[in-house]
Amino acid sequence: MTVADASAVVDRDTRTTVVTRSRHVPGEPSMWFFVIGDLFIFAIYFVLYVVYRQQQHALFLSSEQHLNQGIGAINTVVLLTSSLFVALGTQTARLGKARDAMRLFVFAAATGALFPILKLVEWLPELGAGLTPGHNLFFMFYYVMAGLHLCHVMLGLVIMCFVIRDLRISKAPDMKFIEAGATYWHMVDLLWLVLFALFYLMR
Amino acid sequence: MTAYLRNPLTIVWAFLSFSTVVSWALSRDVGGSAQMSALVTTGVLLIAAVKAQFVIRYFMEVRHAPAWLQRTLNAWLILLFAFLLGAYFAGL
Amino acid sequence: MNTTTASTLPAAAAQKIPWRKSKKLDQWICYWSVPFFYNLFGIVFVPLSWMMPPRSPSSPLPDVVAFMQSHNLLLACAILTLAYGLAPVSNAVYLTQMKRMSVNPAFRVTLMIGSIAGAIVGMLFPLFCFGLGAFRSGYEPAVLQMLYDFGYLAFIGSLGCFCAMWMAFGLAILLDHNNILPKWLGYYTVWQFVTELVAAPVWIDKSGAFGWNGLMTFWLAMLIYVPWQFIVYVCIYKAIRDQPEDELDNAVARKPGRAPAGAGA
Repeated sequence: MTVADASAVVDRDTRTTVVTRSRHVPGEPSMWFFVIGDLFIFAIYFVLYVVYRQQQHALFLSSEQHLNQGIGAINTVVLLTSSLFVALGTQTARLGKARDAMRLFVFAAATGALFPILKLVEWLPELGAGLTPGHNLFFMFYYVMAGLHLCHVMLGLVIMCFVIRDLRISKAPDMKFIEAGATYWHMVDLLWLVLFALFYLMR
Repeated sequence: MTAYLRNPLTIVWAFLSFSTVVSWALSRDVGGSAQMSALVTTGVLLIAAVKAQFVIRYFMEVRHAPAWLQRTLNAWLILLFAFLLGAYFAGL
Repeated sequence: MNTTTASTLPAAAAQKIPWRKSKKLDQWICYWSVPFFYNLFGIVFVPLSWMMPPRSPSSPLPDVVAFMQSHNLLLACAILTLAYGLAPVSNAVYLTQMKRMSVNPAFRVTLMIGSIAGAIVGMLFPLFCFGLGAFRSGYEPAVLQMLYDFGYLAFIGSLGCFCAMWMAFGLAILLDHNNILPKWLGYYTVWQFVTELVAAPVWIDKSGAFGWNGLMTFWLAMLIYVPWQFIVYVCIYKAIRDQPEDELDNAVARKPGRAPAGAGA
């Protein structure tokens, strides 16, 4: 790699932050290895879902009617908003404004925490109505895939807490770590966009 | 505060949220009943692909990343949506 | 064995220390027991008994009875009974390297206890279930059916049990500052244990994608797991090879006649 990896280089003479924007890998390359692998694993699951769906489309179509599209859409916007705060927070941290960045990450974590709560609001009536994973193949896929995604959300919230702690206690924020956490959170968002289209919207 | 509002990221977010509502409306109003609809599915999946591309390029900052990373994520996106649509139309 | 010793001692080779005197000899013996153990496992499970790939959870009763009473299953269970003790040896290889990581010992203990629990549920239970069918003739078909379900569910449905243990392993790699194992291996381990979570539905579905022989629960998990297992051992190999000799914590044998410090007080 010929181009410098640094994202923000502080110029000592002018005391300004020069942001070298070109050719920068956010976070660490090994974390991208994880994200790319995770994306491909989920892609296999998604394609398999459509293959099974098309084999029994009558069953899947009638089962899809029981999902709460409204909560699905709200949850999509919740994750998008949380992702926006994370992206803004990363930008702000890069400029050296640790306090503002921390505030944005707190907003991001608070918005992100709505997701599991809304999932509970969505699932409890469904489970109560007997639409459990054992009900049929559609609901099995639905709970397994959304559950797997929910595990990623929970892990993301934990990572976000560590990012907030880093921004609060350290003088110079660890940009590599913040970017890695941010990339992970955007991946969670990205996977949900596809999940939402496949389970709630497609006909 | 206004700086955040004028930030390109916020504009991307507004677009993403708006297209979420559009795809929801498309699914509910055009494909409301339990009927197969290639129109709804294609529309919804294409909107999802565009949204995914925006999240990758703007939020994940891949538009500033080295070419190998851009190529890998482009490949992921194209392969995923090609296979999703392929599997859908093969099973119609 | 020659190829091993030649490449395992790059530093020692210069000093012409015979491999038998290598201080890492015990670690290497543990290490090379692993391919032996896994090959044995592979032969027993696949071509000998056809226990794996898993038979259908909804196979008809006569097929289940024929499988449970087959001679090959008997032979397979006999070999497993004898080889069971190799499982702790293979886990000792991980634990010895994890001990060098700059993480809390809780990670190592989690892996240790997890692997013990995993070996009981994932190996000993199926062994008893299939062994009972194979060694004790005269069980009712319904009982054999139950043992068949029990054996397979213990083997595949226990994957969640391995989840916490590999999570400890993955996290230890990621948090370690000594870089004993590469960071990307830690991330790979995370996928590995996440795909194992997907195996939980084998308790519910009896056929299709989520049965214990399903595409989602078994085959995809295997697609991730099998290369992972190979890669882990390659990485562990490099970790043992690169471990400095003075860092080995083998106890030094006390020479007769020389009293240990403070012994006279």
